[in-house]
Amino acid sequence: MHHLLRTTSTSLLGATLLGTAAAAQDPRLERLDPRVRPLVASVIDSARAAGLPTESLVQRALEGATKGAPGELIAAAVRRLVADLGQARNALGPSATPPELAAGAAALRAGASPAVLAKLRRARPQTVTVPLAVLADLVASGVPVDSAAAAVLALATTTRDADLVEFRRAVERDIALGAPPGMAVSTAATAAYGATGAGVQLDAGARQARPSRP
Amino acid sequence: MFEHSESVIERIVGHLRRPVRIDPAIDGRVMEEITRNPPPSVSGAARAAWHWLARPRQIALSPLGGLAIVAGLGALVLILPGRRSREAPPAETAARAFQFVVVAPRAARVALVGDFNDWDAARTPMRPSQRGGPVWTAVLPLPPGRYRYAFLVDGSRWLADPTAPAARDDEFGPPSSVVTVGGS
Repeated sequence: MHHLLRTTSTSLLGATLLGTAAAAQDPRLERLDPRVRPLVASVIDSARAAGLPTESLVQRALEGATKGAPGELIAAAVRRLVADLGQARNALGPSATPPELAAGAAALRAGASPAVLAKLRRARPQTVTVPLAVLADLVASGVPVDSAAAAVLALATTTRDADLVEFRRAVERDIALGAPPGMAVSTAATAAYGATGAGVQLDAGARQARPSRP
Repeated sequence: MFEHSESVIERIVGHLRRPVRIDPAIDGRVMEEITRNPPPSVSGAARAAWHWLARPRQIALSPLGGLAIVAGLGALVLILPGRRSREAPPAETAARAFQFVVVAPRAARVALVGDFNDWDAARTPMRPSQRGGPVWTAVLPLPPGRYRYAFLVDGSRWLADPTAPAARDDEFGPPSSVVTVGGS
């Protein structure tokens, strides 16, 4: 009994020290509920030890805290984001930057496959942060993930970040005007490629008649 | 007196009118002297260097040396500017001013919260329109990337941006939006 008490006390002390040490690494986590703070801090600390960027993890935890989410929900969201960031790093390679990994995690969460991320990395010599973000945004707007991935892959080779964002806006405008999302992405991609003098190949399902604007 | 002077003049004129006899071999001697002394415009060292460069010669080259020369020439061609078949887009990292707008009727205060301000409602209060209408705005410099954000009305009511894509992974209940900022 005495041995059990001593072991438990040691474990609790260790957990407290670990949580305190992890939380001390980022004072912003003080805004979290004290009961969940050590858990979130240790998850973030583990991610840091694994070489993953931690800023997006901190932001996700702060989002939950500001919205008054239960601690368990915040911890689960942070854990899930750690898994997504790890998968994004596997697909994008060890040289991927923190913004690239954050955007890659969002694209994976939207439904893009790791193979799409890897293809994008090979196709674009420069940063893939914005192409990945645009891919996630397109899926969030209702574009089928395969159509969105094909369009972004086709455009990413030679298109500037600002033009990719404009391409996404054009898709959203057409969707707002009543175009089916797949057709909207096909039309915008063709228009964007017209500016660069190349061709675009999307899946057949994305090619439909374009509705007239009001 | 005059006769004496005239005879002297006639003798001088006669002497001057006699044909001059020139050695027929003088042309040959002059040309021989010119050939022996070239003009001094080209120095001896330069002439020797030119002769060394212009003289044909044989060079022995091993196959390995030949391959090295070919590889060097190939590398030179590859690194010449403008030889790449595909131009990489420029790196874009500069922050751009981004304006957030929301319509919130009857709101007393509206805050913009997101990944760019630690979700701190006190950091980025939005400004109402000057006419006192329901339009609230905030301008932030944002580097290229993807950000989650939301509007907090009167400290308790959450609004997503109806003009922006919704964040799909909303685990916390109140909705968030996402904004993607591209470079210039």
